[in-house]
Amino acid sequence: MQSFQRFDRSTTLMVALLVVSFLLATFDVRSDGAGVGTTMRDGAQTLFAPLQDMASAVTRPVVGFIDALSDIASLREENETLRLDNEQLRAQLDQLASIEAELEHLRELNELEAPQNLPTVPARIASLGSSTFDHVRYINKGSDDGISLGDAVIDERGLVGRIDLVLDRRARVRLILDPNVEVAVLDQSTSQAGIVRGNNDDPLVLRMFDVEEPARAGSVLVTAGSRFPPGITVGTITETATDEAGSGLVTGVAPAVSFSRLDFVKVIVGYSPLDVESVEEELEEDAGDSEQETDEIPNGDDDTTETTEEPAG
Amino acid sequence: MTGRSIVVSLILVVGAVVAQTAVFGDGRINPFGVSPAVVIVVVLACARYLDAEPSILLGFTGGMLLDLLGGTPLGLWAMAYTVVVYVAFRFRERAEDGPFMLGLGVVGLTLLANALFLVAGTLFGERFFTNTDVIKDMVVPGFYNLIIAMAAFPVVTRLIGDRRRVRWST
Repeated sequence: MQSFQRFDRSTTLMVALLVVSFLLATFDVRSDGAGVGTTMRDGAQTLFAPLQDMASAVTRPVVGFIDALSDIASLREENETLRLDNEQLRAQLDQLASIEAELEHLRELNELEAPQNLPTVPARIASLGSSTFDHVRYINKGSDDGISLGDAVIDERGLVGRIDLVLDRRARVRLILDPNVEVAVLDQSTSQAGIVRGNNDDPLVLRMFDVEEPARAGSVLVTAGSRFPPGITVGTITETATDEAGSGLVTGVAPAVSFSRLDFVKVIVGYSPLDVESVEEELEEDAGDSEQETDEIPNGDDDTTETTEEPAG
Repeated sequence: MTGRSIVVSLILVVGAVVAQTAVFGDGRINPFGVSPAVVIVVVLACARYLDAEPSILLGFTGGMLLDLLGGTPLGLWAMAYTVVVYVAFRFRERAEDGPFMLGLGVVGLTLLANALFLVAGTLFGERFFTNTDVIKDMVVPGFYNLIIAMAAFPVVTRLIGDRRRVRWST
């Protein structure tokens, strides 16, 4: 009887917690990055940030060593004694290499200029998503540093993602790997426009509509403007595709950024799609030939179709 | 079960959440592109020595912390871990403790947690199933967790466990 009552109580508790979780998820999705969910996240980040920073600082050198150990696992036939020696040397080398790579990375990042010479805020990845299914990174800068919702995040290779949650001293970057992120792109070789969407993994998916020329493998895609500043490298087309049936083409895109090695990034602050519109207006006034100019500048009116991001917590 | 074991369990779960979000993730330690799910291992390890209600609340707390520190809608991991701990508790009452059953339980329950998370996430508009590797991402963490459990279970047993009941892991 006692056992039955206990079982009954635990079932009730489970159902109650499921209802709470369901309601929280519903409110969070409906509030679209605002409301009580953000307040709770802000609180959790404030509490956990020092712990995460400490854990990252302690484990950062070890992570490279563990990567090296994974590689060593595939070379089992090596002599046992040499392997032990190798591990020690490799650990030392990895630590040195990690410092050198970090230095090189910072040098490259320092030389990196944002498109249109927009101001940028350098930042470092502070923590990761909570699982394999979570394509976000938290950076160690926030609204106190001038970062705001929607800002583009880049590294020296190209587009990383966009800011989708801003806290005082932290911000969340939703990577372009996430299926909820779409990027309007231009094929540099043909100037044809398309949309790149995340696919949870490599490769990303490129869709192009009403195109006359094929999307060729190896062609570089850059942002077309709208939510992201124009001219940022997004990736390279992996397979040639043609629009045979007139319904558009679909192909893969290898992202320019290596997300597994992401460490330092820059956040482009102060960019707004309105900037493109104001430039467009100026050009129209100067040239007096609005039609010709409009063809060359990304049209702000297309923004809603070019880049959309659906609610994703 | 004592108040001390609940407090220690909470500290362990918080530690696991920090480790998950700072160390075991995409871009850090994630062999073959898949991260282990450290939090559920710790929750399951603690649940062996707690009563049903504290265990379920611990699972909910661990999941909620992951939700708060992650990028998916709030409540998804909380939902998944609550159900998993409930199932684990039912399982615990029906099965004898032993290395094989525990290993099987860790692998199976991690798989269940991931499956529940993916289904719940899909219901809330996440596009998890566009990924062709989704099955791998769902299954492999269970085996990583098995390895982690071999280290975590004895530690948790030493901290909060009843050593007479689980001799093999001490």
